[in-house]
Amino acid sequence: MCVGLAAKVVGIKNGMAVVDASGAKREVSAELLEDLEPGDYVMVHAGIAIAKITEDDTEETDDLMGLL
Amino acid sequence: MMENKVTLAHGAGGRQTAELIEKVFKAHFANPEFTADDAAILNVGDGRIAMTTDGFIVSPFEFPGGNIGKLSICGTVNDLACMGAKPLYLTCSFIIEEGFPLDKLEEIASYMEKTAAEAGVKIVAGDTKVAGKGQVDNVFITTTGIGKLQEGVHTSGAFAKPGDAVIVTGDIGRHGCTILLARENLGIEADVKSDCAPLWGTVESMLETTKDIHVIRDATRGGVGTVLYEIAAESKVGIRLDASSIPVDGAVRGVCGMLGLDPLYLANEGTLVVVAPKEKAQALVETLHKGKYSGNAAIIGEVTDTMPGKVVMTTEIGAETLLPQPGGELLPRIC
Amino acid sequence: MEKIQKTAKEIIETYDGSPIRIMEVCGTHTHEIFRLGIRKILPENVELISGPGCPVCVTPVGFIDEAVMLALEHGAVICTFGDLIRVPGTKKSLADARAEGAKIQVVYTPLDAVDYAAENPDKQVVFLAVGFETTTPSVCLAAKKAQEAGLENFSLLTANKTMPNAYQALKGSADAFLYPGHVNAITGEEECRKLAERDGVSGVIAGFTAKELLTALAVTIEKSKTGIPFFVNCYPRVVRPEGNTAAQKIIEEVMEPCDSEWRGLGVIPGSGLQLREGYGAYDARKKFRLPKVEGRSNPACRCGEVLQGKCRPSDCKVFGKGCTPQHPIGACMVSNEGACSAYYQYSSEV
Repeated sequence: MCVGLAAKVVGIKNGMAVVDASGAKREVSAELLEDLEPGDYVMVHAGIAIAKITEDDTEETDDLMGLL
Repeated sequence: MMENKVTLAHGAGGRQTAELIEKVFKAHFANPEFTADDAAILNVGDGRIAMTTDGFIVSPFEFPGGNIGKLSICGTVNDLACMGAKPLYLTCSFIIEEGFPLDKLEEIASYMEKTAAEAGVKIVAGDTKVAGKGQVDNVFITTTGIGKLQEGVHTSGAFAKPGDAVIVTGDIGRHGCTILLARENLGIEADVKSDCAPLWGTVESMLETTKDIHVIRDATRGGVGTVLYEIAAESKVGIRLDASSIPVDGAVRGVCGMLGLDPLYLANEGTLVVVAPKEKAQALVETLHKGKYSGNAAIIGEVTDTMPGKVVMTTEIGAETLLPQPGGELLPRIC
Repeated sequence: MEKIQKTAKEIIETYDGSPIRIMEVCGTHTHEIFRLGIRKILPENVELISGPGCPVCVTPVGFIDEAVMLALEHGAVICTFGDLIRVPGTKKSLADARAEGAKIQVVYTPLDAVDYAAENPDKQVVFLAVGFETTTPSVCLAAKKAQEAGLENFSLLTANKTMPNAYQALKGSADAFLYPGHVNAITGEEECRKLAERDGVSGVIAGFTAKELLTALAVTIEKSKTGIPFFVNCYPRVVRPEGNTAAQKIIEEVMEPCDSEWRGLGVIPGSGLQLREGYGAYDARKKFRLPKVEGRSNPACRCGEVLQGKCRPSDCKVFGKGCTPQHPIGACMVSNEGACSAYYQYSSEV
């Protein structure tokens, strides 16, 4: 329903962020996330950064491992 | 004095036509066989020849990594090369839109000159037409080529055999990705250049390694996925791909991720699909790795006798699934 | 392969308990599950049903008719996500309209459609706003941006949908839902938690990679063994308990709930969003005074039942015959993410 793309923020200006996904760069809206900074990782959908994420998912994996 | 734009008069057959041919085309294409007559007389020696023709209408006509001129040489040269034929001569036909800038035409011709020289092919005859504004999109080029079939080489889409290895000569999808970004104005910046290249040298080096190659196909429009389905159908075999071994450039992967596309269906203009006996595959890849345009060559799968006409893929979780049949226009997917 | 992926795969492959029916709600999940071949490793007693979470698939025929009308009769430039171009309307798709001279522009985001309108003040530009909670904030930002810029040549044809009432309509269709991770990135956990606690409807929020999908399925299987309704967020890297509150706020500010027709399912009360009064100037239906359009879909099509897991795509008479991805009849064959399309493309029987 919603193709998402994990990408790294490489620049911020006027509510817009430039994100980089393995070399493909695109300007996206950063308005819906507070305090985004270059170096942060975000989930992008339809030109909007919708969530701040961690660079890797070690923590998530560790927690879920406990359930299995 | 030549004007700086192509006018309808340039296509009328009179003095201005002669001037255009002289100053732009002849300046770049001149060689002993290049003719002012109606047809070129060529020496092809003994043996069999291969012949093909291809039209080029790419929009935009310039793109990172080349332009329509380079493409028009590569496309035809590569089609000949895929048959195991050394490209010898080309003819080209231009249909130019009224008002097209002459310096751009010059640039196109210059790319054709360079690419033809690299491919070892001579442009020996041509035709120029100028169409009214809006009747064509900038410039269309058709090239026709003949090449000399090399002794002992027998390649065809129908010759793949179970047990053969499937090789790609480079990382895939770069041309399609480049054109998509240039055409659709999607606001995506990526360091991607078209792979557009003349591949006779690549094919020749493979044939020097072994003549026992069953299929060579240019993975142009429709990409590697489309070519594999063609081979599976023509040879009445199955093909199994290993998803993790398909070479894809990082930026191409990034663009595809943004747009929900699969590089397997993106066009290539300098990448071949090669099918050869498994025991020859490693040597071929080693040869390819030394080549100018094939440093990223890889074995990506094998030919099987199960599910003839289908292409299956071993996925990253180790399951086997059908590769969807390509079809229709490539559309960026968002949701 | 990472340890958790291996463990999860083993749990799935070796499950031999009572039968479980899991509905993946999201079209991107459907697509990834087929692409990765996850269905091929499921034991007999685990069944995956493809739910209605492909916005292209559930967008009604009449919406396409409206878009075609705007393009051909009002001469508007249609800006759209690529997915919608091939969807059949009653008589024509947008691709057909384009062949007749309509200007159809594929955009990556509705914000680009606003820019396009600003650069082309002599043209009327309409963005086709489809999608769920994940996509709607981008549409709301576009409406606000157009208003701030005082653009008079930009409008939205809306068919935005929300999931909560759809979950209610579908809750008998499966034993557990695989919730759409990127919708929950916006909406948070609460609704799904309530579905478990209040309605006894189980489900897990799932991500989209091989590891994330296998883990979510394994957690579903493990939790199902207890027989107690459950909810687990298996995608906390992206989904916060409260979701994205700024996105929720902007949706609330720009849009209001309305009844909405889902192709194949009919009208679900309160399951849609439309522009609020204050943004009426950006509502293409009002601006161009579009007549009420009743689209007609093909009566042989069983997409409605497919979306509810009541039948398989291959049970439908037109599947793979009259209805193929090249010539879709029903909603589920239209998009790459549709259940019928995925079955058709990845199944070796056709």
